[in-house]
Amino acid sequence: MLRGEIVVRDLHKSFGETKALDGCSFSASAGEVHAIVGENGSGKSTLAKILSGVLHPDSGEVSVLGVMPRSPIEARRLGIATIFQEILVADEASVAANLFVGADGLWARNARPGPRRRQTAEIMRRLTGVEIDPDAPVGQLPLSVKQWIVIGRAILANPKVLILDESSAALDLDATIRLHQEIRRLRDEGVCVIIVTHRIAELVRITDRATILRDGQTVATLPKAEITEKNLMALMTPQSRQRAARAAQIAPSSSERARVLHASALRLTAVAEPFDFTLGKGEIVGVTGLDGQGQDGFIKALAGIRPAASGLPVIDNGANGEASIGSLADADRLGIAYVSGDRKRDGIFPQLSIYENLALGLYRRNLAFGGWIRRVPIVGAFKAEVVRLSIKTGAASNKITSLSGGNQQKVLIGRAFAALPRVIVLNDPARGVDLGTKRELYEELRKFAAGGGSVVYLSSEIEEFIGFADRVDVFRDDRLSRSLAGAEIDEQPILAAMFGHAPTEVVFETGETVG
Amino acid sequence: MSAAVLRTRRFGLGGTYYGVAVGLFVVLLVISAVCGPHLFTLDGAAGAIIVVVPLVLAAMALTPIALVGRGSVDLAIGPLIGFLNVTLVQVLIANDVTSPVAVIAWVIAVGVAYQLLQGAIIVFVRVAPIIVTLSGYLVLSGVNLVIMPKPSGSVPDWMSDWGSGTTVFTPVLLVLVIGLVAWLLFTRTAFYQHLRLTGADERMAYASGVQTNLVRLGAHAIGGFFAGLAALAYTGLISSGDPTQGSNYTLSAITALVLGGTSIGGGRGGIIGSAVGALDMYLITYVLSTFNFGIVSGFVTQLAFGTVLVVALLSNIFLTGGKATAR
Repeated sequence: MLRGEIVVRDLHKSFGETKALDGCSFSASAGEVHAIVGENGSGKSTLAKILSGVLHPDSGEVSVLGVMPRSPIEARRLGIATIFQEILVADEASVAANLFVGADGLWARNARPGPRRRQTAEIMRRLTGVEIDPDAPVGQLPLSVKQWIVIGRAILANPKVLILDESSAALDLDATIRLHQEIRRLRDEGVCVIIVTHRIAELVRITDRATILRDGQTVATLPKAEITEKNLMALMTPQSRQRAARAAQIAPSSSERARVLHASALRLTAVAEPFDFTLGKGEIVGVTGLDGQGQDGFIKALAGIRPAASGLPVIDNGANGEASIGSLADADRLGIAYVSGDRKRDGIFPQLSIYENLALGLYRRNLAFGGWIRRVPIVGAFKAEVVRLSIKTGAASNKITSLSGGNQQKVLIGRAFAALPRVIVLNDPARGVDLGTKRELYEELRKFAAGGGSVVYLSSEIEEFIGFADRVDVFRDDRLSRSLAGAEIDEQPILAAMFGHAPTEVVFETGETVG
Repeated sequence: MSAAVLRTRRFGLGGTYYGVAVGLFVVLLVISAVCGPHLFTLDGAAGAIIVVVPLVLAAMALTPIALVGRGSVDLAIGPLIGFLNVTLVQVLIANDVTSPVAVIAWVIAVGVAYQLLQGAIIVFVRVAPIIVTLSGYLVLSGVNLVIMPKPSGSVPDWMSDWGSGTTVFTPVLLVLVIGLVAWLLFTRTAFYQHLRLTGADERMAYASGVQTNLVRLGAHAIGGFFAGLAALAYTGLISSGDPTQGSNYTLSAITALVLGGTSIGGGRGGIIGSAVGALDMYLITYVLSTFNFGIVSGFVTQLAFGTVLVVALLSNIFLTGGKATAR
């Protein structure tokens, strides 16, 4: 029987076609530090949002201190304080105002400004180790201090339940230790602390119990003695997942391929370590990492969207030698196409037709005298892509939003293919796409590679790479930390690399040797 | 713990959001002293106060609504002042209800009620604020003419000498002082903090347990209170009912608001800036009137407003290190 301050039973929550939580249950009690652990997309942030009243479950039972919170205001009244993943501060307001937001009634202050300013100075000194003016506008402060303001806000609320959702991301080691001191102090005072994280090493030190989520389901709840990195990893990794069939022949290794694109001494941020990257002709390279480890910035630098802090990717340009990619115009001219998985923001034009959404990448290549667009070749290309990708459309003039997410994504991939690129860069294109469409997408990309094209494919879901990618580059701390190929392209080795472990720790369980 | 200090600049009273407006005010005062010293006589000052107070209060009425964010600019403020004026004259006074209590209660209650309606549409129907207030502008402009087709009517006896402007300390000035004191008291409430934080980052405020919908409604109600005071001063100024003149306050008040450094994006600014901005507007008109532009003076004044506004915004951007105030 589940008992405690927090009880969650058989929780379900979907966003459109994506099931974020699919039968999650756990309980936590006062005076306990309870961790919620899982891979990217395992539903742990959704769970935190439901516990704090921001989201409402589709079905299932939630009870925090005996009640199900229906809004952040109610959650606050119940004594729940949440530190969200995003650093929510008002840049225009002072440190003190940011710390005490929500602490008052609608009209009346619960404390006078004077004592509050002293309290602000005191808690910021304790948390950051630095003197901070309580009246300073928050916009001037560095990110790490903003993170402390958010933490301080939760502590000052004197919560009975404290929820931390990836709250140490912006903190360095020293700061993390101070955060742990605060967490232990609160726990000893009888607070129920929930930590949502994928930072395993950190969690092993601080947590009393850990619940592991996988694909929105609770896999296990471990007591303190069993919380080891090895156990957590094994539970986070799906055991029974269907492995896609492996490619029959062994793909040639990178060194045997003609080099198409390479980058040397690339730095993603001014302080990150430099690294090299090579992409061969006909090669499919997977790019992955835990959230925010620099993989996104890397792939955008490759596509010319946002240059890296230093160093430019260089593409082989036939008879003209080599050319560097510093802008979107360069990328377009040199045959690099980009497909985003964030269709709403970076992909579709929701007000335009299916035809226009696919064809607009072609307009510039099909201009006649005076800027007239030659329609005939574009209509031809549109039809060809619709057939090739088997896009299920109604009339081409229908709005793109009339299509399902998977078919919208196909239109975007059609847009990229229609530009006849040499390199296609995909940023998590399978997000929110059904399994059948995913398979078709892999098939098309393999054909593209077989025809001499090169593919860079970012995904946070490891199983996408298995049987698909020739190589997987894992990012950690804003640099390419490990390249995996051959038999290493499997759940456990990739997961280990994402968490920064040596490959030998885990690979042997499957009986395969490291190539 | 080490006693290292993180160096920061402050804002608020020692800060810069209305610095440009105050600087402009000083410059304009100097120019006025040279070009039109009449302003500094008892008569001149008294006349100026009568004319400027309705604009100052109108700009103050816009301030809480702008502070609460979402790009809320209350375009309806001018016709609302006109509406309060014509209903006061045509409904109350024409029926011999003339006691000061009834008159003041009427303008404030109707002002607040109208703003609550506007706020409720913005909050619950989720229409963009600018569309709602534009509709309000158009509807009220029409309604004013239906209620009172042409300027007419009179004010109660106790109000009849408000517009004469013979002394500096008139009831009109008292209305302004009451408004300023009310605002000062308001800034000491938690509600004011909620209002600013909601404007600065609505998501943060909501997630931290601020009742953002109530705060937005409240901001409108406070705007309605100041609109009522503005209508009172305006009625005193013209000593009659006028269905169209009030509408002119919309553009002047918005100019004053922006000139005063309040961000239309929310969270930044305050009533002092709006008040000084309105004073600047008056002084610009006054200084220009001392030159003889004859028939084109109206155009020159508008040209000057536009130019000053752009220059003020640019200087604000440079002075505050690249952050535009009118996003």
